[in-house]
Amino acid sequence: MERSWWWKAALYGAAVTLAVLYLVPTFVTKEENLPAFFQKYFKKRIQLGLDLQGGLHLVYEVNIEKAVASKVDRLANDVDDALKKKGADTTVVRSGRDDVAVTFKVPSEMSKLDDELMKPFRRELDIVSRDAATGTVKMRFDPDRVAEIEDLSLRQAIETIRNRVDQFGVAEPTIIKKGTDIVVELPGAKAQDFERIKSIIGRTAQLEFKIVDDSSEYMKKVAAAVPKTGAITVAPESWTEKNSGAQHEDVYLRVKEKDREELTKFIAGLTADLAVPNDREIGLELMSSREVSEGTPDKYYRTYFLKKRAGVTGEYLADAQESWDEMGRPEVAFTMNRQGASMMEKLTGENVGRKMAVVLDERITSAPVIESKIGERGRITMGGYGDPFKLQQEVKDLVGVLRSGALPAPLKKSFETQVGATMGQDAIDKAKVSMGIGALAVILFMLIYYRFSGFIANLAMTLNMLFMMAILAAFEASLTLPGIAGLVLTIGMAVDSNIVIYERIREELRLGKSPRTAVDAGFQRAFWTVFDAHVTNFVAGIVLYSYGSGPIRGFAVTLLVGIVTNLITSVWISHWMFAVLVSRRGAVKTTLSI
Amino acid sequence: MADQQKFFEVIKSGTDIDFIGKQKYWIGASIILVLITVAMLPINAYVLGDRGHMLNWGVDFKGGSELVVEFAKPVDASDVRAAMTAAGLHNADVVRYGSQSETPSYMVRLGAVSVLSPEQAKKVEASLARIGDASLRKFESSEGGDKVYLRFDKAVEPTTLSAALKAAGTEAAQVQTFGPSQDNTYEVTLIGMEGEVRKALDAKLGAGVVKAIPQVSSVGAKAGKQLQVDGVRALLGAILLIVIYVAFRFDFRYGPGTIVALLHDAVITVGAFAVTYKEFSLTTLAALLTIIGFSMNDTIVVFDRIRENAAKYRDRKFDRVVNHAINETLSRTILTSATVFFVTLAMNIFGTGVIRDFAFAMNVGVIVGTYSSIFIASPILIWLNDKYLTMQKRQATKPERNVRKPVRRDEEEAVET
Repeated sequence: MERSWWWKAALYGAAVTLAVLYLVPTFVTKEENLPAFFQKYFKKRIQLGLDLQGGLHLVYEVNIEKAVASKVDRLANDVDDALKKKGADTTVVRSGRDDVAVTFKVPSEMSKLDDELMKPFRRELDIVSRDAATGTVKMRFDPDRVAEIEDLSLRQAIETIRNRVDQFGVAEPTIIKKGTDIVVELPGAKAQDFERIKSIIGRTAQLEFKIVDDSSEYMKKVAAAVPKTGAITVAPESWTEKNSGAQHEDVYLRVKEKDREELTKFIAGLTADLAVPNDREIGLELMSSREVSEGTPDKYYRTYFLKKRAGVTGEYLADAQESWDEMGRPEVAFTMNRQGASMMEKLTGENVGRKMAVVLDERITSAPVIESKIGERGRITMGGYGDPFKLQQEVKDLVGVLRSGALPAPLKKSFETQVGATMGQDAIDKAKVSMGIGALAVILFMLIYYRFSGFIANLAMTLNMLFMMAILAAFEASLTLPGIAGLVLTIGMAVDSNIVIYERIREELRLGKSPRTAVDAGFQRAFWTVFDAHVTNFVAGIVLYSYGSGPIRGFAVTLLVGIVTNLITSVWISHWMFAVLVSRRGAVKTTLSI
Repeated sequence: MADQQKFFEVIKSGTDIDFIGKQKYWIGASIILVLITVAMLPINAYVLGDRGHMLNWGVDFKGGSELVVEFAKPVDASDVRAAMTAAGLHNADVVRYGSQSETPSYMVRLGAVSVLSPEQAKKVEASLARIGDASLRKFESSEGGDKVYLRFDKAVEPTTLSAALKAAGTEAAQVQTFGPSQDNTYEVTLIGMEGEVRKALDAKLGAGVVKAIPQVSSVGAKAGKQLQVDGVRALLGAILLIVIYVAFRFDFRYGPGTIVALLHDAVITVGAFAVTYKEFSLTTLAALLTIIGFSMNDTIVVFDRIRENAAKYRDRKFDRVVNHAINETLSRTILTSATVFFVTLAMNIFGTGVIRDFAFAMNVGVIVGTYSSIFIASPILIWLNDKYLTMQKRQATKPERNVRKPVRRDEEEAVET
């Protein structure tokens, strides 16, 4: 045998060893039973999908009330904008879920709220009453629209959850609507893997930018009412505008991290004169103080007096990326789309010198001073000096969540349980038996029809399966029923490749060629046939993988892997095995067992 | 070698069957099958009352009901599934629910049971337009079709509503308020899945086997709109790329035949599901993808031989070249198809549930896939080749364009022989 044959023998032998190593964890059911060597280097295994193994069944409640309330908020803002455009000085406030009150500073301006102005809102807002004396118009959200929002929110939430779960590469989750709830089923059995996914599914990811109001005397009044003996302290702050040199100063309240509740209670208890105005709110940010006491930096909460209405929201986000600040701490950089950028420009242009709070899910992440107009770019700092690895992961998750878009309404996990395989163990067992019978039939057929060459074909197909499974294990791919369909197709193609090649060799033999030349010519001629058939399917597989989702993707993964391994095993490896058959040292064989 | 080696053969070498000469019969048969499919879809939907949909969409596509059943004694999932099948509730998903315990709980997902046809729904809606002094503002059927949501401008007594529904010819299993009371929305359950399932289980596993059915809810489709849109887009993209690849590797004349053949196979397989009214689920979709892949593989192998022979036998008529290539590859075509067919037949006979549906689709698909490479793809190739040649001939007759005289089939024949 030629020298190159030995080289190939070594190469194929190494590939087989590696494949076996990769497959061992998949077939050892208990992780504890795995030797330390595998624990260290070959831990990955083939996951079975929901239909074959079952997984975690989660039920989420969608907070429709909140979705409706934010829709009403948006409408109220639009009405306010329209009125301001006409020169009216108004405050628009939502109360309850559905009610909106528009109050005119000058009651006689009430006529500005006419049918013309209400035209775009006619379908959604009904005017309930007009009080000329106080200059107040009361409106209510049309109850018929509630169901519409409910439906829309559910659909949007399902879409968002699907995007988020997809980012984790969880293969073929089930995400379905169940009444007004959403059911999410994740394949797999290991509880610790789910924690991160769960935290990401449930995240609202509502990003808002709100202007800090330091021009009112309100916070000073509140500060005066702070009890002297409690945990809450009052701190002053001041800054100078860079360009104009104008002075800003205000006070804020602060508590240690552990005393958060005392502060929120105090704020909630503010009434009468001190009650938070309708169009304002008090937000909290978790800060790290510079002074380090007892080795760990102190964390505290501080207040911001904010305009309730968000100037810009995450709705207008174009993209988000991982990034690092000047100190090398991870943060999220984002880009606004065109509309968002112009809104941001307007908002920051009007408020130069003030602070703008970046609010993520009702928590302030930072509140920098606006030094000049800001356009499309911005960033979200993660705050605190945490474990850098954890921080990095948080940033990664936040980027993913922001990219997949905000949930239309907060989700609440209402139920969680393990579920079994959708296919049922009995059906799986029967499927195994029937596929075993099928495989046996193929093996026998090849042996009878092609005799010793059939044995080579069977060996090549076995190696094909081995490589295929090993690659799936190395990718930690999920195997589901559609995936098995892809497997069946590749096995069909493997059988076909062998038959195409062997029939070709027979044709060459019929022409009177010696076994050796017939084998070489057969492989050479059949190669392009097999190659074209494989590449066409591979091309189709790539498109199915990149555009399809769920089961279509599962099918494409096994198909793609199978096509590659099949081409290698049925063309190269079996040609190499034929070398044993046709060329023995010394004697040239005159017949071929094919 | 002097002594010709003997092989075990199903098709003797040198076989020459005239496939192409009889092509119009084969194409005719295909057209009839495709027409049956196209006709069967609306017939299922509108003519056959007990079918009611174009295809028997499974819970994956249409949604349905989800029940949690607690059992009083140990019961196997397969028994539950068998009980559902016995009661005519086919292809139920039965899944162990919650932790393993002595007395198991199972989650049962059933395909939708449509109780109201669109005409019936209209009739009911009209008759409910006014009840007392309350008027109907919204009438909506659930995705599963077993529930109706009614919204009035004023509160209505559920019992009054029940009576009104009865007067309209629809029996309601349950009427209850839905959502906040000021919404005046009522959920009307037309068919009590709970009762049906309990009855089915009692009949098969003995009375009292069901401890409780704590949860009954309607669920949406697993394969939502997005998934369907993605799927269609992926398929179209794949087809386009295949045409490009085939045009690049072979010739543009070879592309359309491949595509028409694979569409032909997909359509006829869907037709088989329309005629038998077997459930069309995500697994069926996977089978369709497999069939398309198989069909493509088969067509490419035949086309490859045609290409090779067309270069070798330039003196022969193209349709004879094609016929010869089909005969040369006939042995492999039959061997491969028979192998795949018997493997999937084994899955059909020995498997259950979804495996069986998958195997059934494959059985149909393998037959039409093999057939289409010979009788659909090849005639299209010949036809396109003829068109191409006449077009070249026409161009060649224009003197100013006559740069190089293209070889014509008949001329070539005359010269070489």
